[in-house]
Amino acid sequence: MSHQLEQLEPALVDDERPVSEDREIAGKSPLQIAFGRLLRDKIAMASLTVVILFALIAIFAPLLAHLFNVNLDTQSTCEVTDCNAASYSYGLPLKGPPLHGFDPEHPFGIAPQNGVDNLAFWLYGARNSLFIATMATIISTFIGLTLGLIAGYAGGIVDRMISFLTDLFLAVPYILAALSLAPILDERFAIHPALQSKVTFWSLIGILSVLGWMYLARLMRGEVLSLREREYVEAARLIGMPTRRILVREILPNLVAPIVVAISLGLPAYVTAEAGLAFLGIGIVGRPSWGQTIDAATNWWQRYPLYLWEPVIGIVLLVVALNLLGDSIRDALDPKTRR
Amino acid sequence: MRLTKPLAVAAAGALAMSLAACGGGGNGGNGNGGNQPGGTPTYQGAGTAGSAKDATAKGPAQPIPNATSGGTVTVLYPSPDTGLATLDPSPGWSVTGNAIEQDLVARSLTTFRQDPKTGDMSLVPDLATDLGQHNADFTEWSFTLKSGIKYENGKPVTPQDIKFGIERSFDLGSLVGPGSQYSAAYFLDGDKYKGPYDKATKGQDYKGVTIKGNKITIKMSKPFPDMDYWGSFEAMGPIPQGNVSNPPKYGLHPWATGPYKVQSFQPNQQLVLVKNNQWDPNTDPARHQYVDKWIMKFDQDPEKTDQIALSGNQASQTTITTSLLAQNYADAKQKLGSRLVQGSQPCTYFNYPDYKKISNIKIRQALGYAYPYQDAWSAGGEIVGVTRVPGNAILPPGMVGRKTYGPIDGQQVTYDPQKAKQLLKEAGVKPGTYKVSWVYKKDDPQGVNAMQQISKAYKASGFVPNPIGVTGSLYDTWTNPDDKVNKSLNLRGVAWCSDWPSGLTFIPPLFQSNQLYNTGYFSEKSVDNRIKQIPTLPLNQQPAAWSDLDKTIETKFYPAINTGYSNVMMTYGSKIGNFNNDPNYGAPNYRDIYVKK
Amino acid sequence: MFAYIVKRLISGFIVVVLISMGVFALYWFGPRNPAQPLCNIDTNNRCRPAMLKAYEHNMGFDDSVVHQYGLWAKGVFAGRTMELGATPYHCPAPCLGMDYRTKQPVWEELKVKFPATLSVAVGASVIFLVVGVSTGVLAARRRGTLVDKSLVTGTLIFSSIPFYLVALLAMLWFTISLGLFPDTGYYPLTQNPLKWFSGLLLPWLVLGIWQSTSYTRFSRGSMVESLNEDYIRTARAKGLRSRTVVFKHALRAAMVPVVTIFGLDFATLLAGTIFAERIFSIEGIGKWGLDAVTVKNLPVVSATVLVASVAVVVSNLLVDLVYSVLDPRVRLT
Repeated sequence: MSHQLEQLEPALVDDERPVSEDREIAGKSPLQIAFGRLLRDKIAMASLTVVILFALIAIFAPLLAHLFNVNLDTQSTCEVTDCNAASYSYGLPLKGPPLHGFDPEHPFGIAPQNGVDNLAFWLYGARNSLFIATMATIISTFIGLTLGLIAGYAGGIVDRMISFLTDLFLAVPYILAALSLAPILDERFAIHPALQSKVTFWSLIGILSVLGWMYLARLMRGEVLSLREREYVEAARLIGMPTRRILVREILPNLVAPIVVAISLGLPAYVTAEAGLAFLGIGIVGRPSWGQTIDAATNWWQRYPLYLWEPVIGIVLLVVALNLLGDSIRDALDPKTRR
Repeated sequence: MRLTKPLAVAAAGALAMSLAACGGGGNGGNGNGGNQPGGTPTYQGAGTAGSAKDATAKGPAQPIPNATSGGTVTVLYPSPDTGLATLDPSPGWSVTGNAIEQDLVARSLTTFRQDPKTGDMSLVPDLATDLGQHNADFTEWSFTLKSGIKYENGKPVTPQDIKFGIERSFDLGSLVGPGSQYSAAYFLDGDKYKGPYDKATKGQDYKGVTIKGNKITIKMSKPFPDMDYWGSFEAMGPIPQGNVSNPPKYGLHPWATGPYKVQSFQPNQQLVLVKNNQWDPNTDPARHQYVDKWIMKFDQDPEKTDQIALSGNQASQTTITTSLLAQNYADAKQKLGSRLVQGSQPCTYFNYPDYKKISNIKIRQALGYAYPYQDAWSAGGEIVGVTRVPGNAILPPGMVGRKTYGPIDGQQVTYDPQKAKQLLKEAGVKPGTYKVSWVYKKDDPQGVNAMQQISKAYKASGFVPNPIGVTGSLYDTWTNPDDKVNKSLNLRGVAWCSDWPSGLTFIPPLFQSNQLYNTGYFSEKSVDNRIKQIPTLPLNQQPAAWSDLDKTIETKFYPAINTGYSNVMMTYGSKIGNFNNDPNYGAPNYRDIYVKK
Repeated sequence: MFAYIVKRLISGFIVVVLISMGVFALYWFGPRNPAQPLCNIDTNNRCRPAMLKAYEHNMGFDDSVVHQYGLWAKGVFAGRTMELGATPYHCPAPCLGMDYRTKQPVWEELKVKFPATLSVAVGASVIFLVVGVSTGVLAARRRGTLVDKSLVTGTLIFSSIPFYLVALLAMLWFTISLGLFPDTGYYPLTQNPLKWFSGLLLPWLVLGIWQSTSYTRFSRGSMVESLNEDYIRTARAKGLRSRTVVFKHALRAAMVPVVTIFGLDFATLLAGTIFAERIFSIEGIGKWGLDAVTVKNLPVVSATVLVASVAVVVSNLLVDLVYSVLDPRVRLT
């Protein structure tokens, strides 16, 4: 679970940054400053481009698939892959890679043994992987943020209860928990195949979020604890501002930076986690995902390496870009780098 | 490298090997015993019974030419073969387990011996002096225990120990095994006696077995002509009486009577066997003791196992692997040549439509034509025509008296969506309205692949496919009458292997009314009556009678769709000598293996 | 300090109890019929409905959940005799149940599996700490240079590849195709130290190097920060040797957050290095739990989950204690 811990990582301080360029400091909010820095950070912009590209792929996967004229339809195995046991290419596609060069009809080739188009699977896989990661990030951030805010601001017994809850969830081993919970959840819905596919999908998101909010909650609690004692918050309290308003109007804006960092680092962690769970056999079913391809492709690593590399490159590229972007955002937001 | 993979994924995804395993194979001249190194299978109709038994065989076993003593052999069993959970002989009823135990560790009344030339198996006496004496109507059998047989610790094996072993085979608790199918069904009081551990019959003397000197007499409740075959199961061997053999502890280290004893055993992980110096070769007509040490590793990663076999490195030279991934087949054939062995197995796979819900035979036949045999096999990870071949009778190759036939209009059933549509029309069903519901293992990618192929083909044939994904064994669903999912199905499945080459071990469990593995709930009075009648026929008429019944069932009722016979692919290292498939199991014949110098 | 430890231990104990309750609930609400897994295992998937009923009764699944949890909890402290199927088994304290497959007390098996996982965890930790911290410090001292940038980017890319893929390919290439490493697996240290070492070498290296990447980034950041602290500047200004400043003063402060992360990582490793154990065929807690989940071997699942939670609770406490030693500003209350 170390990936989630990276949220606690202290900022990479980079004093090589040309900070002196910020001339009109007076007129800018901290966020504006950070945004300005980010725009000038080449690595950040490159990463952002990659991330946006993947986001577009995810959003327009059906359109792109249509554009390339590929689809997820099942092909009769023996019509598109070699079913002749005596042949050296048994199980491999009859056209396209790895044996027959580029096939314009299937730019990424087709899957061995079942003949599904790799590009279509990859596109929809990107869509699902990103959707799962995004949803899990949103939900876990929401839970972590809310609980952290409440715990930090309320203090006392509420704080202790929430902190205990955080400790409790931290002590749950997430892979085993996910492995045990997933079949239970979807066995209950096995009778309705259409519903089951949905349930599997959302239960995976649920499991990832429920086991991923704790670090943010801790972080938020700590921040709020210190913010609570600031003069302006105390002032707001004294003039009788309602608690909810204080939390939302006075405290939350100061937490934007850590939240943005948490989100940008949470996303890649969930992409990897989804792939890992798929590898252990509890990924989503009935919908494509990169993890599923990797799982199926590991046994073909020698005979059809492209089949394995496609999803791997997808994941690595996306995760690297997200991580680099996260780092840059953190650097940009960190007040210490403004020294 | 996956978490779970059912043993057989095509069909509706059946779990064959560990289900009902073991049993006889080659017999007569043209049986399918022996090996077909890497080639295509050459199945022929089975020969005749009789030549496959040798009641006079005496120890020691004929030496293997050029065999040398010494060396360690490693056997790798790729996932999902989790090997053995217990070494206790009483519950032993799996291909992997029985092959290891009966070949190397646990002796029983009778056993099988492989003909070095033809590869055929023949039944020979083991602990008994002959293959048993029976009365005219097969209701009483007696065996005489050879003298001087000892356990690994030097303690003598007594006839009482054999009786105790037989008593244990009745257990329906943690020791439940093949005895529930045979001892309980045929032996005296089988319906009442529940073995020495059950509360109801604890401490009771079992009346069905009597002992006089070294002679053990077993009384039956109905004719049991196959007792000599049943005697070859490890469950029909000696178990020391008293607390030493209490389950489950005994299952970790049973007292060996065979040429090897347990050095260490981690259930489902690893078994190490070393020489048993109390084994006397002069009493054993079937086994050898060339190898010094056996290391069996279970639940190995399949890709890793294949790569080891293909690498030819030092360690792989004395290694045996018991299955091969389809994608490595061509590679293995090229690199290993004759060291890639195709082993035949007496198993048949079925799709079993619900006989009550799909009562119209035309719809069942349409389902037969709608199944994409080759596509489903290939997508499910089988090697088409090698590890899975089309089936042309219920009884798999190797069964005594087996005859092949075409189940519909005298023709073999192949994938033919047009014919399926035509049959649906004849049945008065509009295309695109008839729903077929079946279960598949959704945590297995190849099972999912096969499911997609099947769905596509059903759709093309005018059905409405409704596949339901479950985790865990499909038999959990199929055999549980109270299960919600099971109730919603109208197509189930079963994979069955014979216990010995007689239709008795195949047709009754699948096609008699109210049997656990009759998952299609097939029930016809005429078939039930014939099943009861056949064991009472003269012995030499029984094989043909079973085979005729086989044909009658499929041509007249077509209750089950035959989705093929299975074979296993095994490999062995360059320093392994005399490796052969044991066609009884589809597993290595461990008895005759040696390590080349 | 003492009161703090007691307080933390109590809260940790409650955490473990609650998790054990959650796990226990798995028995009841998990599989379709809670007795099915054992019945399947015992009968090699030939479990008949009548037998299932008997199992259900013998195992107490027709009893109330609360009462059965009481029995289970009592068993942890006092041991108990329990029935699995028709056979009674004695399970001495601490009784975590009987393994469905092997019919051994889970605790006895745990004692065998734990050293394997511990070996993997300790070996890998040594590697990732040494490699991670030293490259991190190197990058921090050379910050802004090519060395720094390539280290940071390189480790980031490497750690973005899913671990299981790195491990799988390393295993396939290094041990099988190239034969550079001996076959992996766990052999007890006390029986054969050489085999112990050779069997774990590749898992250590792969896990250690992959994990080290986050420590590189982490200790770099931490180090950069502490090199910027006023007291370091003061030390420098006083003319202390750069080496002394870096290793004696800055490193100590920089290690505080590294220790936090390490404590939690180590707990996760102890809870079972699932992927590594599965891929390298090491019979430790992780593979044990994973295998148990597939056949719904519930006593083993619950034991591995409990081990994991205890490891996290204990290491959290230890981390806080070490924290207070390393950083005098931290006071435990």
